[in-house]
Amino acid sequence: VRLPRFPLLVALLVIVAAAYWYFQSQRAPSGETMAVYYTKLDGTSLASVRVSVRPRASGESAAEHLHNQVLYAAVEAVTGPPNDIKAIRFPPGTHVNGVTLDGSTATVDLSKEVDNQAGGSFGESGEFKALVYTVTGIAGVDAVRVTVDGTRLETLPGGHLELDQPLRRADW
Amino acid sequence: LSWISRFVALIGSVAAAATFAAANCAPARADAPLTAVYQGQSIRFSHIGSKDGAPAIGVNDPGFAALLHVTDSVLTWKPGERYVLITTSVPTVVSFAVGDRRYDIGPIVLQAAFAPYQRGNEVFLPFNEVLRGLDLALREDGAVKVLQPQLGTLDVRASRDRVTLLAHGGAPLHPRVVSQTSSAVTYAFDGVGTALAGTRQINAGGVRSVQIATSGTVRAPVTTVTVALQPGASARPPQNNGARDVALAINGAKASPQSIAEESPTPEPEPSGTENPGNAPIPNATPANQSAVVTGVTSQPSGAGATVTIAVNGNASYAWHRLRDPDNRFWVDIRNAQLQGPPVDQAAPSPIVSMRARQIDESTVRVALTLGQPSAVVVTPSANGLQIEVGNEEVSDDAARSGTGTIGTVVSSGEQNPALVTPAPANNGQYDSGTSGDTGWKFGPRSSYVPTNPRLIVIDPGHGGSDSGSEHGGLKEADLTLDMAKRLRDILVARGWQVKLTRETDVDVYAPNDSAHDELQARVDVANKAGARLFVSVHVNAFMNSGPYGTTCYISKPEDVPLARMLEAHLAQDGTKDDGVIKSHLYVTYHTRMPAVLVESAFLTNPSDYALLASAAWRQKIAEEIADGIDQYTRAYPASNAAAQ
Repeated sequence: VRLPRFPLLVALLVIVAAAYWYFQSQRAPSGETMAVYYTKLDGTSLASVRVSVRPRASGESAAEHLHNQVLYAAVEAVTGPPNDIKAIRFPPGTHVNGVTLDGSTATVDLSKEVDNQAGGSFGESGEFKALVYTVTGIAGVDAVRVTVDGTRLETLPGGHLELDQPLRRADW
Repeated sequence: LSWISRFVALIGSVAAAATFAAANCAPARADAPLTAVYQGQSIRFSHIGSKDGAPAIGVNDPGFAALLHVTDSVLTWKPGERYVLITTSVPTVVSFAVGDRRYDIGPIVLQAAFAPYQRGNEVFLPFNEVLRGLDLALREDGAVKVLQPQLGTLDVRASRDRVTLLAHGGAPLHPRVVSQTSSAVTYAFDGVGTALAGTRQINAGGVRSVQIATSGTVRAPVTTVTVALQPGASARPPQNNGARDVALAINGAKASPQSIAEESPTPEPEPSGTENPGNAPIPNATPANQSAVVTGVTSQPSGAGATVTIAVNGNASYAWHRLRDPDNRFWVDIRNAQLQGPPVDQAAPSPIVSMRARQIDESTVRVALTLGQPSAVVVTPSANGLQIEVGNEEVSDDAARSGTGTIGTVVSSGEQNPALVTPAPANNGQYDSGTSGDTGWKFGPRSSYVPTNPRLIVIDPGHGGSDSGSEHGGLKEADLTLDMAKRLRDILVARGWQVKLTRETDVDVYAPNDSAHDELQARVDVANKAGARLFVSVHVNAFMNSGPYGTTCYISKPEDVPLARMLEAHLAQDGTKDDGVIKSHLYVTYHTRMPAVLVESAFLTNPSDYALLASAAWRQKIAEEIADGIDQYTRAYPASNAAAQ
């Protein structure tokens, strides 16, 4: 008995195509997320909002992907949560110039607006706590060095926080 | 087989043709410049491309830079980088990546018309999607292109008796009330269009529905928001929270007599401060639909007293407070939570007298206990709620009177550190605890420091000289800290201590106009070189707005903890809020070798704290309380005999 081969093959192809589409559609939206921390107005408690993280693209090396994730995390942390959430925020206009990675230490280069602190330990401590917790939430990063417009600094002007060593979660 | 091989060959050739076509479909053709009007200002975009019929904008385009500037947005991108990030005025981050059609606006993942592409050293972004991220839309008014500001979002925050509509726009928003009756209120946003037109049913908090409509012209659009009210509801005037953010608040009908009767018969006083000195609403860290639910509050006797179990489903934060004997009340506020079922008011086993639970605002559940005596209370959070153990023994005078923490599993298992929150210290008399213990703090090894000068205390008046610290309303931090430090010195000297101030006048300690680092190191050096017993740095706090207030003791090292706890205990009665002991990486507490605390006495930026700081009597009181704390500490931790000789 000879089965009609053409309809069989078409059916097979349809099944394969459907399975592939299903696999892709299942995979695409279930992206990873990352916590963007902010420090609440008690000066110390953290809360977080979650944002989606891009999967590693083809042609993007593991090192480049880590760099990109750290960049995204740092920009999100410095941006802070939406306005209606009460949080300790970096001074207005503070932004991330760029990030670099050296082993498990990320260097986050901030713009000079970060110098415009209100003047207490409260803001400084809360701002950097949120930044460090967010960036060290990425696997492979456990410390954050802060520079301002490319310059290493030991403290902010008139500041309180020590910045000449990389900061870690255990510092808070 | 021949069929199969022919199919494979066919599919292969089709795939190859498609790949070839995709690789050659020209993304890289420069288009004519585009000029568009934003808020009456012409912006010329010259780095224009197009792909798949949609416009692209080059990130190096001067017009693009101008657009970001006028919309208070910032671009983060360097040549060669794959990610292009724009921080908008919301603030939110709009994220693009070369070769990826996906783009993100904050937590929302979207698909662009095409993937950003590289041409030479420049990345070209899908222009319409960039504009959407900036809450703008490109419209045509005859031959003129207009960047029309959009009402980008209108978030509805609804609770049982209140609705707040949070609007954000692509330009400053100045809503006006165009009509107001008992059944509806209409707001008009001039100069703003929107793609949000439509009607949304709310049926909560005094609001039946919200209808959004647009009118006007391309250049002078008007968006109207009409809120249909439930009987008895009233609208409050629009309130700007920043130029581009407006809150439209609706209060539901007045509370019924029954719900007033549900109020606790002995309402808990606000702790001598909560996060909100005014009546500002407590914000929801997460949308209301992600609220935790308090599913039950129960009490039972335990071996050493009584245990209250608060069952919580979901993630929430909590803050507890207790009053001093003879007013032995304790309460815990569970934030971002809804109470399931009616309020609770019932008797509870000894040493608890009674227990109450109720919803105190749209997102906070308060569980309050009246205790029969000043019992020790231990609060333990878990993934499923809170356990409050009330012991038969009396609470120690030094015990913490407030604390905070989180409930649930906010941190995913992939996180490196489960400590989402560094809770305020829950004092168990474990002054020596140098490890995380119940505070979540992690410390390095304890030092084996022995003071060579055990009768010497170094007091550091914060700032001074070229660095006056924060300044507000004519008061300078450097002057206030020097004044408090001198008062503290006089008290300590009278009590038999040797005291050294790091500065006695308004000067830089290291050198005039020195760096902050040299300045702080010089202060540390004073104490380390003298072999002092203790180091106390006196500061005045400040913030960007007037909200935060209170007294905080900052520490960095394990040996700082007991001193900070005792200072905190005495400072708790200073007239402003006790903000607790906070571990941080402050220079002077970290680098001093002896126990050290940086006391941020009060906020210069808060009106009530400001009044305290301005009062000499209050500064004297602060000095006395710090001195009392030092006395208590040095009695509890005598310097070793070896060191004293």
